[in-house]
Parts: sequence; structure tokens; C-alpha cells
Amino acid sequence: MNMDQLALALSTLAFLAAVVPALSALKTGDWRRGPTQFISMTVGFLLQTTAIYLRGQEVGQCPMKSVSDILVFIAWSVVLLYFLVGTTYRVSLLGMFTAPLVVGLHSIAFLLPESFPDYPVKDHIDPWVELHAALALISYAAFALACITGVMYLLQERFLKRHLIGGLFYQLPPIQGLAKAIQRLVLLGLVLLSLSLAITFKLETSITNPKLIFAWGIWGLYAVMALIGWRHTLSPRQTAWLAAVGFVIPFISLWLVT
Amino acid sequence: MIPPPSISEHLVCLGLNYRTTPVEVRERVAFPEAKVPEAIQEIRQLPGFQESVVLSTCNRVELYATHSLADARDAHDTLIGYLVRRFELPQEQAEALVTYKLRSDEAARHLFRVVSGLDSMVLGETEIFGQVKQAYKVALETGSTGRSLNKLFQQAFTVGKRVRNDTTIQRGSTSVGSVAVDLAEKVHDLKQCRVMLVGAGEMSRTCAQSLLSRGAQSIIVSNRSYDRAVELAAEMKGTAMKFDEWEHALHEVDVIISSTSAPHFVIKPDLIQQVMRKRRWDPLLIIDIAVPRDVDPAVNEIEGVYLYDIDALQAIADEGRRERERQLSACERIIEEHLEKYGFIAPLQGLAPQGQTAT
Repeated sequence: MNMDQLALALSTLAFLAAVVPALSALKTGDWRRGPTQFISMTVGFLLQTTAIYLRGQEVGQCPMKSVSDILVFIAWSVVLLYFLVGTTYRVSLLGMFTAPLVVGLHSIAFLLPESFPDYPVKDHIDPWVELHAALALISYAAFALACITGVMYLLQERFLKRHLIGGLFYQLPPIQGLAKAIQRLVLLGLVLLSLSLAITFKLETSITNPKLIFAWGIWGLYAVMALIGWRHTLSPRQTAWLAAVGFVIPFISLWLVT
Repeated sequence: MIPPPSISEHLVCLGLNYRTTPVEVRERVAFPEAKVPEAIQEIRQLPGFQESVVLSTCNRVELYATHSLADARDAHDTLIGYLVRRFELPQEQAEALVTYKLRSDEAARHLFRVVSGLDSMVLGETEIFGQVKQAYKVALETGSTGRSLNKLFQQAFTVGKRVRNDTTIQRGSTSVGSVAVDLAEKVHDLKQCRVMLVGAGEMSRTCAQSLLSRGAQSIIVSNRSYDRAVELAAEMKGTAMKFDEWEHALHEVDVIISSTSAPHFVIKPDLIQQVMRKRRWDPLLIIDIAVPRDVDPAVNEIEGVYLYDIDALQAIADEGRRERERQLSACERIIEEHLEKYGFIAPLQGLAPQGQTAT
């Protein structure tokens, strides 16, 4: 096992340490804020960053060519956005839901056949291409967080409707705030993906490139989601379902484009 | 960590609370806030006394002190004598005064339980923590605390925080009013929350006051008797509304508390469907306190509407109380661990009895 994979495996363990209390809380409804999960997430993030850096050194470019590398990069972006927006939108409990997603993404990355392959050596690295790819993947992370926030909304909605007033209910943010957070995260992802796609106009890339077609398709999906959210065409519950289930499409597209 | 012998051997607490003493007597021996510094000094100057803290709330009056007397019983007698003189209690009242007289580890355990909310009327309530902090601060500022009581109260605050962080004793609501607040907080940001009272019953008033005290933005009161609505609105710094107008303003509020005496449903699904269209899916909490109910239960089927009737609220409050009671033994364990850690009790003594001896 290379050093980068070792760092990644250790980071998976750190995130796993944050998953255990999360799963237990989901089962018992007895969730309490504490430093343990935040520390686990921080350690996991640092190890994850180290893993991506070492992998970049190994392949001589930003590691975003294989599905495994892309999954790790998205997982990293998810954690980054969690630290950036989690407290801003008062959805700090997002960590509880983020950790299982990150562990899942890392596990798939490890389990894929021929994970972390060598890259063909590049003579010239175009920074615009790298920026385009990085922005696109960070936008996917925003969509992943919108998906998680959607799950949180649906849970809180269920608790409120069925009068299930327990531990987790008290820890989840107000349902109105969650509905707004979904819209904002979709919008954030859309802006990042728009920037990423805008960069492609600077590149000499054919529009028939399947990656671009998929990217525009996903842009269209989330643009529609942002529009109906803004116009209140769908109810918050429908929007939450859309954000939660809709993430399947960008997730699957990773296999189709690599 | 073993404290100096003086704190564990020469610490006393004399107190009375809602369990030992009826309110008619408690109010006679309560220290007004402005008089507390003076009382602390007076106790400290009693013969043989060194340090003192006075905790006086609506539910309890407790005197904590350290002394150099040979026997704790003398210290307790001196403190009782002080209370009788201070409040000029007639002999029959003085003789009938029921207090608890605690010393050393019993007194420390009692303080730890008080700070943690375990000795409160509402188990696990948090207000007492602030009240003890304030009582200690006043004593500290008057120079009436020394090494022993400083250490004891700091230890008590540490224990209180541990109990709060490591257990769920303070979680959940134990009254209908606080359940209403919890629900409103989970639907909206309370600071932007607009509340409407339909009907001005006592229970709805309590709920509305709980919401306002926790920061709800505004309140509208509508009642069949407009005069009563005006009166209640003035009391809560809100707006009164005529009873035939409230339906038109429903879409502007985030929480509806209904408690009319109507024998039929006054809030029906058709009305709320219209309201939700105007609100553009902004969630709405409806609290139906009336019996017979004011709100058709089918309203809860409408998306974005969360309906709770009096039974639902009561069930949540009951569960909150049971949950707190389930946490009690975990809290007592933390307190015993700290009593042992701070040297008040010997290791392996286990869970000791409360040690309150009312006389």
C-alpha cells in the first residue's frame, strides 16, 4: 500500500469513528453534541488532504482522472463544505450525516477494480482544465450536501408530523432553516458548476465530449431544481426528495464519464 | 486531590426549600436581592464563622458557611438563631421552622445536586445554575468567601456542567408551555416567529408567554370578547384583533394557538389550504389547546402544517419528565464520583444516601 493510500485508509478510520456515534444516535435518538465527532472529522479531513496531496505528487497532476480519485476528491470537497457552510447555515449536525457519506465514498474508491491506477504522463498541464475539473467536483460536493440536508429535512418533517419528539428531534435545526439550506446548497453547487462550465469556453474541447454533455445535463437538472425552489412550484418536502434522490444522477455520471 | 480538612470538616449548610417549607413561611425568610450582601457579611461576622454564601430564590433559602466551632450542631443553631433574629420571627414560627442541616460531604453533595438542577421543583431545570453563580458572585464581591468556599463553588459549577454535558437531564420539555416553545423552535427561527392566539384562555396565555419570553417576534390576540383580547394583548405587548377578522390574518403568522370555547371545529382543512397557498409553503405550527378541539385533525395532513392538540402536548411533556427521571441515577453517579475526587467521601463508598435531615 502506497503512502497516499495509507493516509486515505487512516482518514477513513477517522471518519468511521465519527459514524459510530451517528449510527447509534439514529438508532436510539439519543444524540448529544460533543467534541469527539468534530475532532474525528478534523483528523479525517487532514489525513484526506494529505492523501490527495501525496496522490497528486505520485501522478504528477491533480488526481481527478479515475473514478476512485474522483470519489475521494468529492468526499474531500464534501468535508470542506461541511466545515465552511455547516455552521453558517446552523446545520452543524450535518457532520453526523456527512461522515457516513464520506466513509461510503472512500470504501467504494478502495473496492473498485483497479482503483488508484497510474496516470499517463502529461507533457503539459493546462491549469484551466484542472480548475474546470476541480470546480465541477466541488459543485458535486455541494449537491451531495444538499442531498444530506434533504435527508435531514425529511427526518425532521417525519418527527414533527408524527409527534416523534426525541433526542435527534431536539438536535436537528428548524425545518424552515433546512428548507432554505437545501435551496442555498443547490444554488451554491449550481454557481460552481456554472463557473466550471464557463471555463470550458476557454478550452479547445469539442462540445460532443461526453463529460461536457453530462455536465450540462446535470447543470440543467439543478438549474430546474433551483428555479422551482425559487418560484415555490414544488413544496419543500418535494424539493427535499428531489435533492436527496437527484444526487444519484451526478453520482452515477462519474462512472459514465471516466 | 484531597481538600484541606477545613472544607470537609467545617462546612455547613442550613436551608429550607419548597419541599420542607410552605410558601407562606419561605416568603417570610427570603432575602431580597438588595439585602443579600448585607446578610452575607452578617453571617460571616457571627462568632466562629469564617466564610459565607447566601442563596435565596423563590424555591429555596440556603446559607453555606465555614466555621471554626467545635461542633457543626453549634454552627447550625447559630444560623437558625440568625434567621430568627434577622426576620424577627415570633417564637411559634421559629419553633415551627423546618430546615435541613447539612455538614461536610452532605452539604457539598447537596450543593452539587442543587447546581445540577436535581433538587429543583422541575427536575433538571437550568435556571438554578445561574442563580447559584449569582449568589456566589455576590459573596465573592463582598469578600465573604475564602479558599474553602471558593473551591467548593468552583467544584460545584464543574459538576453542574458535567451533569449537563454528560447526561440528558436538561433535555426535553416538562410542561405544556415549554413543549410549545420547543416545537415552535423546530419549525421556525423563534426570533422571526409571529404568534396568533385565537381565544384567550389561561393555558394559551401561558404558551404565548413562554414563546415571547424565548424571543418570539410578535403576537396577535383575537377573542370573542374584544375587551379581553385588548387586555391580554396589552399585557403581552401585542396587537388585539376582532374575532371576525382573525381568519384573514392567519397567513401572516407562523404559530397559531387556539383555545376557543366553540363546540365545533373553528379551523378546518379548507381554510388552512388557502392559508398555505398564501404562505407559499412556509411551515405553520398549530397548537390546539381547546377541549372540545378547535382544529380538525385532518389539518395535520396538509403539507407544511404541524398540528398538536392538548393530549399530544401533554404526552410529550410526560415523556420529557420520564426521560429526566431516567437520567437521575447517571447524574447522582457523576456527583458521587466528584465527591470522591474532591475528597469529600472515601473511595469505594459508593452511592451514598442524600443525607438531608429535616428537623
